[in-house]
Amino acid sequence: MALVDKYKELVDLAKQYGVTVSDEGNVLRVNGEVPSGALKDKMWEIYDRIDPNFKSNDLVLNVNVKAIEGGKVKVITRESNLNIRKGPGTDQPIVGKAAHGDIITLISKANDQWWLVRDNDGEEGYCYSQYLEPVQ
Amino acid sequence: MKAFRLVSMLALILALGVATTSCKKVKDADVQTAVQTALAANPDLADVSVAVLDQVATLTGTVQDDETKALAETTVAAVKNVKSVVNNLEVVPPAPDFTEIDAALNAALVDALKDHATVVAEVKEGVVTLTGEIKKRDLQTLMEKVNALNPQQVVNNITVK
Repeated sequence: MALVDKYKELVDLAKQYGVTVSDEGNVLRVNGEVPSGALKDKMWEIYDRIDPNFKSNDLVLNVNVKAIEGGKVKVITRESNLNIRKGPGTDQPIVGKAAHGDIITLISKANDQWWLVRDNDGEEGYCYSQYLEPVQ
Repeated sequence: MKAFRLVSMLALILALGVATTSCKKVKDADVQTAVQTALAANPDLADVSVAVLDQVATLTGTVQDDETKALAETTVAAVKNVKSVVNNLEVVPPAPDFTEIDAALNAALVDALKDHATVVAEVKEGVVTLTGEIKKRDLQTLMEKVNALNPQQVVNNITVK
């Protein structure tokens, strides 16, 4: 079965939002930005349902929520505080913490993994982007 | 008078003969050498071979893209005494170099795995292979982080607890 058929539900959803889908034979690549965290979660829920525990190694699902610099982002750690660091990297010193569920400001993106943010105490630094979800 | 006419006729024939010979004097071997010199000037054309027959240059071998294929043809066509070019070059894209990609992935994985101490990642030719163990509730978080690095493939050999 072709991968586009195996992941048809995901492919259809991706295409609906202009997310790129490319079938490279042994791996299906889904790349792009979606308008909301709910939609990203939905895609991952479909992925986990079709391929329980992501064991087939035949999909790269690289979808991120569209983030606007100057906009707000929510801290989506499981429950812990999120480290705010001096620079983009886990080797950088921690300059502050943002609490789980806090809504803080995205100043700019250093790269896809590290975003410069300002917390509600005015502290600025870098956070790992996978723990931040843009909110409208 | 008659003798003079004969001599001039002979001279004419000789002249024509010389002229004809000088036209034929273009040797394919010389053209081939000239073409090879022209090709050698461009390292992108290192795998191009040429054979010249009756001033027609036939190109064989490989180049890395269509642009280089066309360049080889114009380079050869511009060589003196090349009448035409038969371009039988094959386009073979070079094997991708994953050195930089792998280095970037390895660097990014340090951050991605920081909160998942029981998982180990190995990178080869853009493919990230994950081993170790993880709690079910953390698996998706980890997978989201690794997929966001946009590797060629994620091979998940993690034991889910």
